[in-house]
Amino acid sequence: MTNPPQSSNITITKDSAFSVKINRFLALLQRLLSNPTTVIGLIIIGLMLSMAIFAPWITTANIPDPYQMPRDWGAVRKPPGEMGYLLGTTNEGGDVFYGIVWGSRTSLQLSIYVVGSTMIIGTIIGSIAGLLGGWVDEVLMRIVDVFLSIPELIFALAIAAVLGPSFTNIIIALSLVIWVKYARIMRAQVLQIKQNDFVDAARIVGDSKFNIYIKDILPNAVTPVTVQATLDMGNVVLIGATLSFIGLSEAGIAEWGVLVSEGQAGIASGRWWASTFPGLMIFLWALAFNLLGDGLRDALDPRLEDR
Amino acid sequence: MQLRDYIIRRLMVLPILILGVSIVVFTLTRVGGSPIGIYLSHEMTPEEVLKIEERFGLDKPVLVQYIQWLKGIVSGDFGWSGVASAPVAEVFPIKLAATLELATAAGLVALFLGITLGTFAGARRNRFPDHLTRIVAVSGASLPQFWFGILLLIIFWAQLGIAPIGRSDATIFASISHPTGLYTIDAILAGSIRALWDAIWHLILPALTLGYGATAIIARMMRSALVEELQQDYVDAARAKGLAEKLVIKRHARRNALVPTITVIGLTFGFLLQGTITIEIIYRWPGIGRWMADSVLRGDQATLMTYVLFTSVLFLLVNLIVDVIYANLDRRVTLGK
Amino acid sequence: MPNNQFENNVLAKVKDLKVHFNSKRGVVHAVDGVDFEILNGETLGLVGETGCGKSVTGRSFLRLLPIPPGIIKDGAVNFKANLVCTRCSGKGCSECGKSGHKTEKGEQVDLLKISDTRMREIRGDRIAMIFQDPGKALNPTLTVGAQMAEVFLQHRSLEILDMAGLGQIKNKAILRFANQDVKVFDKILLLLPKARKQKLKVQEAVKIMVSKALSETQVPNPLKLLDRFPHELSGGMRQRVMIAQALACNPDLLIADEPTTALDVTVEARILELIRELQLKRRTSVLYISHDLSLVRRICDRVAVMYAGRIVEIGKAEEIFANPSHPYTRGLMAAVPSNGIPRGSLSAIKGTVPELIDPPDSCRFSGRCPYEVNGCRVNDPKLRKITESHSVACFINDASLSWCAPSFEGERV
Repeated sequence: MTNPPQSSNITITKDSAFSVKINRFLALLQRLLSNPTTVIGLIIIGLMLSMAIFAPWITTANIPDPYQMPRDWGAVRKPPGEMGYLLGTTNEGGDVFYGIVWGSRTSLQLSIYVVGSTMIIGTIIGSIAGLLGGWVDEVLMRIVDVFLSIPELIFALAIAAVLGPSFTNIIIALSLVIWVKYARIMRAQVLQIKQNDFVDAARIVGDSKFNIYIKDILPNAVTPVTVQATLDMGNVVLIGATLSFIGLSEAGIAEWGVLVSEGQAGIASGRWWASTFPGLMIFLWALAFNLLGDGLRDALDPRLEDR
Repeated sequence: MQLRDYIIRRLMVLPILILGVSIVVFTLTRVGGSPIGIYLSHEMTPEEVLKIEERFGLDKPVLVQYIQWLKGIVSGDFGWSGVASAPVAEVFPIKLAATLELATAAGLVALFLGITLGTFAGARRNRFPDHLTRIVAVSGASLPQFWFGILLLIIFWAQLGIAPIGRSDATIFASISHPTGLYTIDAILAGSIRALWDAIWHLILPALTLGYGATAIIARMMRSALVEELQQDYVDAARAKGLAEKLVIKRHARRNALVPTITVIGLTFGFLLQGTITIEIIYRWPGIGRWMADSVLRGDQATLMTYVLFTSVLFLLVNLIVDVIYANLDRRVTLGK
Repeated sequence: MPNNQFENNVLAKVKDLKVHFNSKRGVVHAVDGVDFEILNGETLGLVGETGCGKSVTGRSFLRLLPIPPGIIKDGAVNFKANLVCTRCSGKGCSECGKSGHKTEKGEQVDLLKISDTRMREIRGDRIAMIFQDPGKALNPTLTVGAQMAEVFLQHRSLEILDMAGLGQIKNKAILRFANQDVKVFDKILLLLPKARKQKLKVQEAVKIMVSKALSETQVPNPLKLLDRFPHELSGGMRQRVMIAQALACNPDLLIADEPTTALDVTVEARILELIRELQLKRRTSVLYISHDLSLVRRICDRVAVMYAGRIVEIGKAEEIFANPSHPYTRGLMAAVPSNGIPRGSLSAIKGTVPELIDPPDSCRFSGRCPYEVNGCRVNDPKLRKITESHSVACFINDASLSWCAPSFEGERV
């Protein structure tokens, strides 16, 4: 095989489908990074991720279970800065800073498990509904509609309540509530592309339905699904924290919502730090993903006159 | 013609959806322990318990149980609330009124602020008011409402001591009668300025907290709608008549921008509805949200299920109404083109 | 006052108008040095393809340009409004010969430089505009009556108050209401019984004025129309509403931006007739913007042909059509089927309109011109007179050139 001409610039010489994709991706990246708010979001996410990944190095893990808040009965209710506790301590002598750091791990787990599973389940069900059509579609979409008729938080609340308070149950509850969004998106994508002419062309040529699905439908669907998933990464932590706040998680674990809830008791006496800092983290997490999601949506949308 | 068909179609689907929701709710009751547990209370005698067990047929097939339960709902029997120590149906309206008052106040705040802010931003695109509104919008969507509420409490209640907690001062509240259950309205009806002020005073902080997120939703939509409208010909045509810019924006652009903004009212309503849960917890507001939160923690399934059913039906109705209004208004715009 | 005061029969004079737009790709020279006059009572056609700058030129009269991307780079749009006849206050009487105008003119202003307040006084009153798609140019959420009322309330509020019998009124709230300047607390003031009655009288007076204006555009049953929304009307009806609105205050100049493009051919004919009729009756000048040369021929006294932001040919309608002197004009005419040209010889102008960013120093039509020579690619022709009233911006048959001028015989196929 002869060597293809060497060139430092792929865009000029090679014209393979792969290089086109790379270039599109790079262009997307550039558009993303040109928006200041998106960059802020990315930075915050970067910081949170680092915090989550390096948690055992940033603070000493609590034994036996690092997700349980450590109790230092000798340093109860300390304000920030005292006794070496950067952000103060809770009612039971828990290090607020520890809670923040390990809470980021908890949030990361929560969002990845929920968004990951709902994306897969929702996409599969939505695709089935769109591809098969007919009564399968009708039945599945009615179910989706019913699920969408119940407000998100309330639905998750009811499921978690019925299953019993635990972190795992919150994950299950949220997953059951959110998958419908992806089903809808996917189905819409499938239907839209089914109508397109090039699918008919592919069918004439003899591509199997499955092939068409993989090659044509999925790539186009990536866009709205990705945007939704990004926004949900933030949203899930927000709702999850609300559920924890109401009391559906386990007491004493390093989870931001739980910490805010437990920190409430001290407000009347002026102990603001136990609730404020964990809550701030929830806000920043949701904010970052919202900014990124918006930025993605704008960068992926060709007609961005506005801004 | 199309509008009528649209309304009819939506109305026909509605009962199916409500039925679907009831099935989901019933399934939840089966998952969480005894399906007839919602009807039992500690004060019942063993004979009464047996009667109820018979009525709802624990030994009968699931479908029959479901129908029995449904029959109960339709006849107004929503079960017994362990938290309130009373039938759910009895306590619900009173608490609902409290929540409604809060949600309406927050909604009005959100509507007013949201539209104003959105118009302001849209008319001055990419200048300072626009950036400010963007920040409000994004933060509103990311803000954990319970945290926001706690922050405000820390500042205004704990530190400054100028905001109250709860819905009312007990003595003032007891001094007037409550025909409607809405404190503000009742105060007006009773002609008591003291009570009216008490009601409003307690409403301020919770309504602002709850309304902040909703303001963000509305402002964001209003802004983009206004920017769209300002690019239309009729805006230039209005300017060509010699009208002042303010008038052009208010009477022409904004009026039209309100049409697409209506579509977010359903979303806003859902937001307010869900927000009341945590807001009521924090501010100790005696509404259905807090009742529901207590029920969750104390296994009061009757309240929980009634709440889910009620809010879903309400949510469906509001969305239906909003969609119909929008379809009606949208005709004017689309047919004109 | 500078010494470019114009003669009595000139209404407006555009001098070296340059309007540019900032865009991501550069500065677009949408209008790049345009000169022409509009005479009293004449219909001047402004013809050209999409993107030639005719709309922008028209809008400059009313300063309806989006100023952040747009800049008014240079030039002046001088305008001398007609003074309203004092005998009949503009309605038309024997003294002013039914036109409503005195013989002398008002003060001359540069429309690009006057204050915003002054501009708003002129908009809708002395200069009016009708837009291309009446469906889009009318507010869909306001009734026809409400929209038309705006013009009257803005400029003829004194007349309205007179008609309502409130000529001597001192109530500020009502005065503000009649002037569309309602303040926040006025809403409450206007609820008082006496004020309510007065408000109603004002509204009645406005209704009468609006219906009268509508009836002049041959709308059947104008009173019924007042409560309708634009989407309930047909295209032709909507355009009549626009016209009625525009002519409400008897303006001196009407800018018509492709008013019939969005209408059916049969409706178009009637609307054109209507515009012509009304124009003759009130001696209004009309700047008729269009891309349709044959249409312009039917109703315009003079025609200006625009290309790439400049006027390339201007003259009396008969002159232009009898002797089209610019290759572009010729191309436009050949592209339109008409009785004169036998079937089968339609020709399109080859090439496309040039990008208006950083235009070159050559003739802008070079590259598409069938007659061009080398000199055309390095020189930019200015408007030069062929006859007293006919000018063209082209080197063809230009005897004054130092190099060899192109001619119409040297056509390259």
